[in-house]
Amino acid sequence: MENLKIGVFLSDCGKVLTKILDFDNIISFLKEIPDVTVVERGTEFWKGSGLQTIVKTIKEQKANRIIVAESLPKLSEIKIVEAAEAAGLNQNFVQVIDLKNHCAWPHRNVPKEATEKAKAMLLASVERAKILEPIHKLEFPALKSVLVIGGGISGIQAAEDLADLGFEVHLIEKAPFLGGIAARAGRFFPTDDCAACIQSPTSDVKTITHTSRKCIYRSGIAAISGLKIHTNSQVIKVEGQPGNYRITLEKKPRYVNETKCISCNLCSEVCPIEVPDEYNANLMNRKAIYAIVPNIYPPTYVIDEQSCKFHECEKCVQVCPTKAVELDQKPEISTINVGAIIVATGFKEYDPSVIKEYHYGEYHDVITNLELARMLDAFGPTGGRIIRPSDGKPARRIVFVQCVGSRDKRWNDYCSSICCMISLKHAIMIKTVFPEIDVSICYIDIRTTGREHEEYYEKARELGVKFIKGRPTEISHDPESNVLIVDVEDSLLRRFLELETDLVILATAMVPSEDTQTLAEILKIDIDKDGFFKEYNAKLRPTETKMRGIFLCGGATFPKDAPSSSLQAHSAALKAVKFLNTGKIVKDQRTAVVNEEYCGDCEFCPVSCPYNAIELVKIDEKHVVAKVSDLLCEGCGICIGTCPLNAIDLRHFKQSELLSQTKAILSINGQDKPLILAFCCSECGGASVDSAGMTMSNYPTNVRIVKVPCTGYLRIEHFLTAIKNGAQGVMVVGCMSDGCHHEEGIKMVEKRIDAAKTLLKEYGIEPERVELFNTIFVEGDKFAEAACAMTGRLEKLGPLRFSKEV
Amino acid sequence: MTETKEFNVPFSKEVASRYGGETVMLCYQCGTCASSCPVAKTTEKFNPREIFRLVLLGERQEVFQSNAIWLCSSCYNCQERCPQMVELVDVFFALRNIAAKEGHLPKIYSEFAFALMNDGRIVPVSKFIERKREQIGLPPLKTIGTEALRKILAVTGFDKLLLKKEVES
Repeated sequence: MENLKIGVFLSDCGKVLTKILDFDNIISFLKEIPDVTVVERGTEFWKGSGLQTIVKTIKEQKANRIIVAESLPKLSEIKIVEAAEAAGLNQNFVQVIDLKNHCAWPHRNVPKEATEKAKAMLLASVERAKILEPIHKLEFPALKSVLVIGGGISGIQAAEDLADLGFEVHLIEKAPFLGGIAARAGRFFPTDDCAACIQSPTSDVKTITHTSRKCIYRSGIAAISGLKIHTNSQVIKVEGQPGNYRITLEKKPRYVNETKCISCNLCSEVCPIEVPDEYNANLMNRKAIYAIVPNIYPPTYVIDEQSCKFHECEKCVQVCPTKAVELDQKPEISTINVGAIIVATGFKEYDPSVIKEYHYGEYHDVITNLELARMLDAFGPTGGRIIRPSDGKPARRIVFVQCVGSRDKRWNDYCSSICCMISLKHAIMIKTVFPEIDVSICYIDIRTTGREHEEYYEKARELGVKFIKGRPTEISHDPESNVLIVDVEDSLLRRFLELETDLVILATAMVPSEDTQTLAEILKIDIDKDGFFKEYNAKLRPTETKMRGIFLCGGATFPKDAPSSSLQAHSAALKAVKFLNTGKIVKDQRTAVVNEEYCGDCEFCPVSCPYNAIELVKIDEKHVVAKVSDLLCEGCGICIGTCPLNAIDLRHFKQSELLSQTKAILSINGQDKPLILAFCCSECGGASVDSAGMTMSNYPTNVRIVKVPCTGYLRIEHFLTAIKNGAQGVMVVGCMSDGCHHEEGIKMVEKRIDAAKTLLKEYGIEPERVELFNTIFVEGDKFAEAACAMTGRLEKLGPLRFSKEV
Repeated sequence: MTETKEFNVPFSKEVASRYGGETVMLCYQCGTCASSCPVAKTTEKFNPREIFRLVLLGERQEVFQSNAIWLCSSCYNCQERCPQMVELVDVFFALRNIAAKEGHLPKIYSEFAFALMNDGRIVPVSKFIERKREQIGLPPLKTIGTEALRKILAVTGFDKLLLKKEVES
C-alpha cells in the first residue's frame, strides 16, 4: 500500500475566523499528526488560487488524501472534488468539512473551547482519511427509446415530443382508439375549442407551421417517424433496469387488419347486432363492428368480442372490399426494449351509483357531466340536443349537483379540482344555444382558480345560470309527471327548495383509471392514498417517481385540465430525454455492498430499501443472499440499520469510518460540559446544523457533530460506541418524521432509538441520554435550542455511570 | 347594524374536546344536514347547519339561550349523509350535556328526567292509559323498582346535572 500523505487546507474565510479560532495552535497540532504531510492556510480553497494550491499539492507533493475546512459546504465540495479528480485523485479521498458553521460561528463566545473542538473535528477527518477507499465511476447503457403508457392527451403529447427529438417511442393504448377521457369531453376550457382534435391525427406533417394553433388533428402525429402506436394493447411485464427495460406487451385481437381496413363503413352497415354505445354514454346504439367517431386513430374498425357472433354471422367478412376482417385473430405477445417509461394513464369518472340518495343508474334522467358532454357534442348521440334519456323529450330544466363523490369522506376526500369548471363550461354551452333552458348549479364552493377560469363563472351568471349554495340531500322522482325533484337548502337565504327538473347532472369525482394498482405493481412504483400514481416530490421532483427512468404525467397523478396535462407531458418527456440523452448513465459507485459471508436467508433489507435496489439471489438450493443493484442504490444506508447480521456496508461511508470519526471527535475535549455526539443526516437534519451556524445561533462546544447519509443508517451499536468512547449523551438529528428524504429512514431510527433506550435501562443508564430530534433546514435555531436543552438535561443527570459492564 | 365582537374560538374547541363532539370542526357548511332534516322543515327554530355555524364561530350564548339544540329528533338522516362524516347527532348530545351542566335545561326535559328517576318511566301512567288497557284486555302496568336505575344514573352523573338545575331554579 502506498504511504499516506494527508493534505489539510484551512480556510479562515478572509480572516473572519481568526478572531475565534487559534489557527496557529490548530496548525501546529495538525503538523504533529503522523501522515499529515501538508497543512495550508488561506482565504478560500474552493476557487481561484486556493483551489490551485490543492491541485498543486496533489500533483507535486503527491498528497493522496485531502481534507478541506471550508464554508459553503455543498458548493465548495463539488468544486474541490471536481478539481481533485482532474488532478488524478479519487473523489472519495477528498473530505470537505465546515469549521465555520459547525464550530466557529456557533461557539464564537468561547474561542478557546472552539479551537479545541476544531482540532477534534480535524482529527476525526484525518482518522477517517486513513481508511477511505476509492469510489469508482460506473456506466450503464441507456437506450434512446421510451415507452409511453396511455394514449390520451398527455400520452400523445409526451410521445410526440420525444419522437420529434429523435427518440424511438412506443405509445400504447389499452382501448381500440386513441383519445382517452379528454376526447369525450366535447369542448375544453379555458380555450373553448374542440376536444376531438386530440383524437384524430392525420398524416400530413408538413402542413403544420410554428404559428399554427397546436391541434393534434392536423399535427400528423401518426406519421412521425420513430413513433409506434400500439392500440388495444397493455403492458403485462417489465423486466430489466432503468435505461434498459424489457417490456412485454399484449395486443388484444382487433379482428380487423389495420393495414387493410379503409374505413368504408360497409361492415358496420351490414352488422345485425346492436349494443349500447358506452363511448356515447349508452345514449345510442352501435354495431358490434364499429369505430367511435368519424375521424379516429387508428383509422381501422374494431369488433367488440363481447357481442359479435363471429362465424355464426360473418356478414362483415363477406361485405368487406379489402378482406380486412379477420375473425380468427389471436392475442399477440411482443417484447420491446426501452430506456424509460412514461405513465400517462389518466383518470376516469367515479361511478356515482354508490351514492344511493342521488339514484344514479336508477333514474335515467340523472346523468354525469361526461354523459352530458356527449350530448353536447355535435358528433355525439343527440347531435347537440339536450334530452331526457328516459323519454327522449327535450330537457327544459337542468340542475347540476357539484362535489358528487369528491370532498366527501365517505367516498373520496379530495377536491377533484376540475368539476366546477366542467359544469360552468357546460352551463354556458347550454345557455348560449338554448337560452330558454333553466339551469341551476347547486354548489358548496365554486372553485375557479386557473387562468381565465373566473370569466366562466362571470359569464354563467350573466347568462342567467342560477347558483344555489347548498349540497342537495336527495334526488327523488315523480313517476306521474316524470319529473325529478332535487331537495336542497339555499343556505344563504336559509330556505328549503324542492327544485323540479327534467335532468340532473352529477359533477362526479375523478378517480384513478382502472388497473392503476396492477400497473403500479408491474412497474414497482408507489400509489398515493387516493389511489393515483405517486409523484416523487410535488415541489422538487414533479412528474418523477422514485424509480429513476419511470415518469408520470397528466391525470395519472391527479385530476387535471387539458393545459396542465400537456405541460406535465412536456415535463415528463424532457426528464426522459435528460435521463437517456447521452446513451449511458454514469453513476458513482456510492452504494451499499453486502458481505455474503454473513448475509443469509432473511428479507429485512429488500423490504426496507426505499429504492427497491436489493433483491434476494439464490446461492444454492436452500439459501439466498441479498444483492444490491449499483444502478438503483442511492447510498442512504437504511439497509445497514435494518440488517440483523450487520452484513451490509456503504462503500462511501463504511461503518469503520463512522467508528473512527466517533472515537476521534470525542478524544479531544477542552471544556467541562458533558460531551454529546450528534449524529446528523445529510439532508434536512444536517442542513439545520449548517443553518444553526449560518444564523449564528449559539450552542455549547460539547456538542460534536458526525454526519451520516441518513439517520436510517444508524444501528444501536453506533449509539453504544459513542457512549463507550466518552459521550455522555447522543443526539440523532434527522428530517421531520413525515419528511425523510429517503422515505422511512427517520421512522426506522425512531424505533431503534426506542430499543436503545430499553437497552440502556438494562445497563442502568438513563434512557434520556439518547434522543431523536426532527428538524428542517430553516430551523437552525431549533437545533441550537435542542443542543442546549440536551446539555442541560445531561448536566442534571450528572456524569454517566455504568452499573454493569457494557 | 353590524356587530363587532371577537369570535370565541375556544367554544368550538371545547365542544370538540367532549365525548361525541370530536367531529364538529370538520363541518364545511354544505347544508346537506339542513336539507335532510325533518325538524328543520317544520320549524324555523331549528337548522342544524346554522347551529354548527354558531358553534364554529364561538357564539356560545346564542347556542344555549335558544332551545334549538333540544329539537333534534335523533333521526340520523343528516349523519348518514354528511359528506364530512360529522357525527351531528352526537355533537348535539355533547352540546346538550354542556348546556345541562350550565343550567340551560328546558323544563320539559327536566320533567322527563325527574319522571325517569322517580317512576322509571318518562311518560307517567295516567288514569286514561290504565282504563284503555283494561278495555282491550291488557294487564295493568306494574310499578317499577327504580333502585337499580337510580344507581346507574348516579354513576353517570345524571342526577347531579338535575340537582344543579334544581338549585338554580
